[in-house]
Amino acid sequence: MAEEPRGSWFGFGFCGFGQALGSGRGRQVHSPEPLRTPGAGADVRRVSASWSYTAVVTRGGQVQLSGAADGAAGGCRDAWASEALLVVLRAGRGLGPGPELQAWAPGSALRGEPLWTHTLVPEAEGADGAGGEAQAGALPLLPGARAYVSPRPPFYRPLAPELRARRLELGAEHALLLDEAGQVFSWGQGRHGQLGHGTLEAQPEPRLLEALQGLPMAEVAAGGWHSVCVSETGDIYIWGWNESGQLALPTRSLSEDGKTVAREGEGTGELYTWGWGKYGQLGHKGTTSLDRPRRVEYFVDKQLQVRAVSCGLWNTYVCAVERGES
Amino acid sequence: MAEDNREPPAGAGTLREALRALLPHRKEELVPELGEKVERSVVQLLWEAAELFCGGHRSECLQASEAILDYSWEKLNTGPWQDVHKDWRRVYAFGCLLKAVCLFEEPGDSAAVAAALKACDMGLLMGAAIHGDILIKVAAVLQAHLPSAKRPGPGLAEEQPSMKKARDDCVSVPDVASERLVPRLRCPSLQHFRKQFLVPGRPVILEGVADQWPCMTKWSLEYIQDIAGCRTVPVEVGSRYTDEDWSQTLMTVNEFISRYVRSESKDVGYLAQHQLFDQIPELKRDISIPDYCCLGDGEEEEITINAWFGPQGTVSPLHQDPQQNFLVQVIGRKYIRLYSPQESEALYPHETHLLHNTSQVDVENPEREKFPRFAEAPFLSCVLSPGEVLFIPARYWHYVRALDLSFSVSFWWS
Repeated sequence: MAEEPRGSWFGFGFCGFGQALGSGRGRQVHSPEPLRTPGAGADVRRVSASWSYTAVVTRGGQVQLSGAADGAAGGCRDAWASEALLVVLRAGRGLGPGPELQAWAPGSALRGEPLWTHTLVPEAEGADGAGGEAQAGALPLLPGARAYVSPRPPFYRPLAPELRARRLELGAEHALLLDEAGQVFSWGQGRHGQLGHGTLEAQPEPRLLEALQGLPMAEVAAGGWHSVCVSETGDIYIWGWNESGQLALPTRSLSEDGKTVAREGEGTGELYTWGWGKYGQLGHKGTTSLDRPRRVEYFVDKQLQVRAVSCGLWNTYVCAVERGES
Repeated sequence: MAEDNREPPAGAGTLREALRALLPHRKEELVPELGEKVERSVVQLLWEAAELFCGGHRSECLQASEAILDYSWEKLNTGPWQDVHKDWRRVYAFGCLLKAVCLFEEPGDSAAVAAALKACDMGLLMGAAIHGDILIKVAAVLQAHLPSAKRPGPGLAEEQPSMKKARDDCVSVPDVASERLVPRLRCPSLQHFRKQFLVPGRPVILEGVADQWPCMTKWSLEYIQDIAGCRTVPVEVGSRYTDEDWSQTLMTVNEFISRYVRSESKDVGYLAQHQLFDQIPELKRDISIPDYCCLGDGEEEEITINAWFGPQGTVSPLHQDPQQNFLVQVIGRKYIRLYSPQESEALYPHETHLLHNTSQVDVENPEREKFPRFAEAPFLSCVLSPGEVLFIPARYWHYVRALDLSFSVSFWWS
């Protein structure tokens, strides 16, 4: 998993609920704008965006919400935003030394009691890095990789330990898992081909992607109904629904459906986006959808190197540093 | 309901008044009742959109309704269709409603009216009824305000396909005389029909039952384009639904007629199995429900009425349906072959769940080595002509090919 990026965050796309996107004016931002978070700036560790709100986690352990959900709380290591639930990983509160997984109703502003909590066993996170600190950005995969969080009940879902999950991503109705050996597994609904097993059948349990065997993958990501992974040698593999060109393959109709894909060029720090663009989430100063990757010129013009990307439902958050900075 | 008139288009002012009269006035009444499945954030957006509408902020309301539509559309596409919660379909319909009433600025802007009609139709096709079928009423008002120059289809000067006879030189009319024919009866009594055909499950053609329906004299390509030309409908593209490259798409009736009926398209397009008469009540007035349906168990509202409209050559592969069927022929002729459910094994149904009610055999060009028993299976056939009604008993296998430009109406009842 990549190091947590240090840099400035930018956002573009849908902000109809006033979520933290630059100026926040109007409902959409078509070109990247610096992220406005209260007193945060370069302190942002992770951004997790749901449709109507965004959760920002700072290095100081604050989680800050903006948009249809607001509020803030401390002692937070990681957050994952969805419309149904805000999931937060916090330092243990009471019973045991282990961190606590909390699921909050987004509208609660993190006040009162969470809907549901689960205390994680401390030794489960032993292998995760110096000082047993859980890495930010692993949610919905839980520290220890023995389970993951789902926005639909059951919220806590165990994973077979032999899966040795490194990264887990959720689409609208499927899941992708990257293991320690660089193998990819998928399960859930498959009617748009998003599982990658060559059929449209659903898979109840994680199933290995045979088509990718022998190609170790470095990262995985999931859109609503498509899946992406990047190999260790920097090749991108995408499959699933191509309604808006989100597979970067020619699509018959560039109509208003689909997802955005964003990808940073390895080493060069360039950002390429393609797919559905109706809310400006591609960052090319317009709302055209694209079925082939195009570089986001904003970062080149401003001499910025992109370090990390986080895609919300209809918006995009990017972390970048000035060229020349290490 | 507006009459068919040829007056110059009413100004946008009258149109807006007519639409406003249909909508609830207060925003509290405008937002539909929704349950817990719909997230707070969405409800918040719905209220915001309603407030913008009531405050007359049309373009902002339009923006909000686009977001409502895009978000609920994603919900409609998550999971199997039958599992999609009805509230999401109501949200989608609400988005369509606001979009439709906010869309036009200029008086007589027919493009905007057509776009608003499209929004209504998307709500009718994908959404669930809100405010007592308000989308149907809005669509009817919009339709009536379309500038009359826009309503007839394109290319009236082009040669119109003949509607009464087939182009015999390029269609193969089967030699029905050599086949066992479906019996015909003229206006049988309810009892006779029930005893001789419904109960034993035997097909029959009923004459004199539908031949006086208004559709038999009123319906033509011009009439259909006039009433429904700008309405969006689902169209099946591909020679038959068992083919790999078969697909479904949406288009207006005008586009369908221009692309697949008037011109020689290399693809077959078929406006098939669509509840057109729920979408466009004005057309429903031209048809009736066959009296014999009262012999069934269900209520009249439960009868499914489908339109089947397409060029010469459309094919429905041999298949069976779970309900009783009256197939009423309105325009053109269809060649129909019927096999009893007792012959099912000789018809080699597909093994998959999705197609288990469909035969693998191409009826008019069967692969004899692959399906050896098919040739011996007894069947009945007919050429169904305008004014005639074919009774297809439940589960009776049927194959249909249009010999001419054809419009049929089917009634599924139990």
